[in-house]
Amino acid sequence: MPGPSLPILYHGEPTGPSLIALAALFESGLQLETRSIDLLAGERYAIPDVSEPLALDHSVEGEGPVLLIEGEAITDAVFLAQYFDEQAGGAGLQPSDPYVHWQMTMWCRQTSERLAPASACLGTFTHAQDRLAAMEAAEFERIAAQIESADLRERWRDLRENRVDSAQFADSKSKVAQFCERVEDQLADGRTWLFGGFSIADLVTFAWLRPLAETEAASFAAKEGLSAWLARTEARPSVRAALDQARTDDPLQAFAPGPEINRWG
Amino acid sequence: MADVTLYHWEPNANSGKPMLALMEKGVPFDSRYTNMLEFDQHKPEYLAVNPQGTIPAMIHGERVLTESTAIMEYVDQAFDGPALMPEDARDRWRIRWWMKFMDQWLGPSFSMLGWSAFVGPMVRDRPREELEALIARIPLPERRRAWRKAMFGEFSEEELGESRRRVALGIDLLEEELGKRPYVGSDSYSLGDINIFNSTYSLPVSHPDLASKDKTPNIMRWLKRVYHRPAVQQTWTMGRGDLAKRYRLVIEEID
Repeated sequence: MPGPSLPILYHGEPTGPSLIALAALFESGLQLETRSIDLLAGERYAIPDVSEPLALDHSVEGEGPVLLIEGEAITDAVFLAQYFDEQAGGAGLQPSDPYVHWQMTMWCRQTSERLAPASACLGTFTHAQDRLAAMEAAEFERIAAQIESADLRERWRDLRENRVDSAQFADSKSKVAQFCERVEDQLADGRTWLFGGFSIADLVTFAWLRPLAETEAASFAAKEGLSAWLARTEARPSVRAALDQARTDDPLQAFAPGPEINRWG
Repeated sequence: MADVTLYHWEPNANSGKPMLALMEKGVPFDSRYTNMLEFDQHKPEYLAVNPQGTIPAMIHGERVLTESTAIMEYVDQAFDGPALMPEDARDRWRIRWWMKFMDQWLGPSFSMLGWSAFVGPMVRDRPREELEALIARIPLPERRRAWRKAMFGEFSEEELGESRRRVALGIDLLEEELGKRPYVGSDSYSLGDINIFNSTYSLPVSHPDLASKDKTPNIMRWLKRVYHRPAVQQTWTMGRGDLAKRYRLVIEEID
């Protein structure tokens, strides 16, 4: 009789949420099987043996990684990082002081709510639109039919049909610029990482900012602290190992539809 | 004088979360009732505490904390008292997932409908110039946009329709979840229950077409279990406005 199935981390190319989850896994030292999937081919909806799909179907994050444990789909990269950290008995990815932990949580939440949708909006329309637009209609509809979340499905359609909201695009650029400033300010006292030791906040911010360093170069320019921190984070063994999982030439440009831009504006 | 001061409105939605978490932990706090309908949260004395002008905010010693869910997590970690998060990492993940689902997806739809139907009409009878002046002093641009829509009834039918769709779907998903476990995301009462409860306690009154003993028996069983917690009863005595009347109606409906 087969034993219980072992957890498997399904991930896209190492950018955005998939980069966060992979690097956090490697930081934790947990030994899990990882499997690369092509998010823009809809492979997230073909993961086998999912008996509890709620978090896959209704993740606020959009097309992010999925950890499958005993049939339950576990999603949302920040929470996956916390899960890996805690499952490993405390891998140091979360500050132990409650107040610093609150600061990190707030930072991650603002990143998820403001930077991630902005970055995903800019990244997908710049790097993923061509591929979806070129897809055969039948193939696109086959994928769309599997996307349970109506609002995520709409973001896929907007992308394929190149329905860009120019105000949202401009607002996204401004949010990226604001986060560059925020990181620079946070590091102004000479600290190495955003909140004391290396934490999930560093991973999350890197994963959503770094892919835009070239296309939004003006926002990154003349920020020595930001620039050194990006290089430091990229050189971290866990981040290197995550980037090594890439199957494409430039994994940092491998975007898929992400979180929605706040409906209240 | 307590070591903790909490600036809050009614024990409802975001304000209710840290109030209830502190009560459950048995942490005494000085209450600073901040009347959202009088726009106390945008007055200089409050902006000196929280420059973003959002409620709730909590002061613990020298520390100022904002954002209701993050405050609850701090309260659970920083104070003695019963643990409000389980030990198991997967249960903790599930609770965090549900809190984000509420805070970022379902909750904004509840509040859009609530602001359109209740909050807007409650403040709308003031002169236009006064309303414009109130909007002008709101620090966050997205809050300015939200208040403008509420005050002048500018929510589009499309966005209200989308909010209604999300509320109906969210209730279905919660009903399913509470059929799997006695509490949100785990077998024990946690921050997840406090979070979800503060936005759903009035469903039997506000959305009887979607939530009732017949339609959502799991939600109703869970609501009843949470309603009768001493900390909930104690927190609700701190309500001052019409919402206090609503709590009584809710209890009559559920018992």
